[in-house]
Amino acid sequence: MQENDYARKIKTYIVSMPSLPTTVAKVMEICNNPKTSPTDLDRVISLDPVLMGKVLKLINSAYYGFQNQVTSLVRAIIMLGVNTVKNLALNTAVLDKLSDKSGFRALNMEGFWRHSLCTGVVAKLIARKRGVDAQHLDEYFAAGLLHDIGKVPLNNILSNEYIRAMSLADRERIALYLAEKRTIDMDHAEAGSMIADAWHLDGPIADSIKYHHSLDVYEGPNEIIVMAVAAADYYANREGIGFSGCLYPEKLDPGIYEKLGISKTWLEEIDSLVSTEIEKASVFLNIK
Amino acid sequence: MFTVKIWGDRGSMPVPGPDTVIFGGNTSCLEIRCGKKLVIIDAGSGIRSLGDWIAKNDLKNGPIDADIFLTHTHWDHIMGFPMFTPIYIPGTTLRIHGPVNFEDETLEQIIGSQLSYRYWPVRQDELAAKIKYQSLKETQLDLGDGVIVKTKYLNHPVLCLGYRIEYEGKAMATAYDHEPFINLFPVDPKDPDYDPVIAEEGNKAATEENARVESFFHGADLLIHDTQYSAKEYRASKIGWGHSSFEHAINAANRAKVKHLLLFHHDPNRSDMELQELELFYKEKVKNKSSLKIDASREGQTFTLA
Repeated sequence: MQENDYARKIKTYIVSMPSLPTTVAKVMEICNNPKTSPTDLDRVISLDPVLMGKVLKLINSAYYGFQNQVTSLVRAIIMLGVNTVKNLALNTAVLDKLSDKSGFRALNMEGFWRHSLCTGVVAKLIARKRGVDAQHLDEYFAAGLLHDIGKVPLNNILSNEYIRAMSLADRERIALYLAEKRTIDMDHAEAGSMIADAWHLDGPIADSIKYHHSLDVYEGPNEIIVMAVAAADYYANREGIGFSGCLYPEKLDPGIYEKLGISKTWLEEIDSLVSTEIEKASVFLNIK
Repeated sequence: MFTVKIWGDRGSMPVPGPDTVIFGGNTSCLEIRCGKKLVIIDAGSGIRSLGDWIAKNDLKNGPIDADIFLTHTHWDHIMGFPMFTPIYIPGTTLRIHGPVNFEDETLEQIIGSQLSYRYWPVRQDELAAKIKYQSLKETQLDLGDGVIVKTKYLNHPVLCLGYRIEYEGKAMATAYDHEPFINLFPVDPKDPDYDPVIAEEGNKAATEENARVESFFHGADLLIHDTQYSAKEYRASKIGWGHSSFEHAINAANRAKVKHLLLFHHDPNRSDMELQELELFYKEKVKNKSSLKIDASREGQTFTLA
């Protein structure tokens, strides 16, 4: 297969990008309940990176034409109401379930979900540690949750090639994104960036998706949030929380710790906090 | 010439009868004239009389041409459409604009489904008028001849737009059906679902959205605002129903330096006597405290802005 065929296949796939099936049943249960509280709704959507991205995409789409970008679900629920957001989530989840029965192939879906969640949780903890404004904490979480979204199309439609990329990374002890580039001529940051474009995501979320492995070339205004996501990603890989397919992540440049105002020791000390947060989420979604 | 005439101001359901003679029993419909342009907001039951008036008075000057802006598609705001005489007159051109939620059918299907044999003896396809449906968002439209229409999402259980029409340096705005944005998330630390970050974000979002609504109608010469309930009724059992209290509308209009506030979308159970008492009560409340002029909307009333 030619490289440009890979790109074309991925582009086609992104148009009908599926949600993660594990959460679909939970979303349906929560959304079909007429007594669903705003808190339940916020929780169930924000725990699924694909669904959360899609819901925010719909809300920010030309369809509603909001003058200001809506970046948090809490705000979306207050502006559009529980029922509208519930319907958006329900439609998205159900449509996705119908359109994709294959699920994950090369990568294990549950492992990927846990890795994404861990990255979101840690990015948010870093933000809190830095004293970031409450209104921006969700952006750190969302950016972390969605940072590896590009792995979904690579894994789902080029699963054989993706298995080859993972083996190459193992064999040569290199980071997965380098092996993706050599095998598919496209890494998950590039694929993720295409999704961000298709979903009209911009700002820190899109930048984190695109640059979490290439901080050195990033020149935009969201450097801190992209760095926080990169550090959180490294933490999740190193601690083996979930599985992103990357066994040999590149070490973080010491300058990043300095710029973020955190130390390696601090990252080691947050283990229990991270597992509590993930545990809360896991119980909620019944993933053990 | 910039005029606004009230053809219907009742909320929820038409309520004809001896108790609604002064303020009217028809559901919402506003006729706005900006020079030669005809703009109609909402097609509640009040649009029937407006249609008859137009057929009698406007038609002799040439074919009817109008923009109809629907605040939302709840039934009390669209129910009069099948009885709007101009849709049966050849040569009529109507542009119908309104917000539609993403999971819903198109505006044409929502409005047009009223014109099907199960509900009405004439089908949509049989109408003589040329009708163009346009789904509307938060935006700004130039209708030509110096008429600008701005829209803003309000807080109602279905997607709902407020309209601001500007012409010859004057502005009128609608803010119905609308309830002030509130934080829907728990703010009591004792609540098991309480999360301080979410509580704070929720408070901030609600405050900012309310400020945006106020800036939308800021400085309007005439503001037509939802006042279905009193603050006491609202707090007792109407939170989340998508309507405002008199108190909220007056305070918001005052903060936004509105010149004239029209209390609108009267509760169907509110009698003329009750409305007269309420109108007097609130007029007295702001007397000598604010330059804001307050009136309860009366069907048939016309306001000249320019």
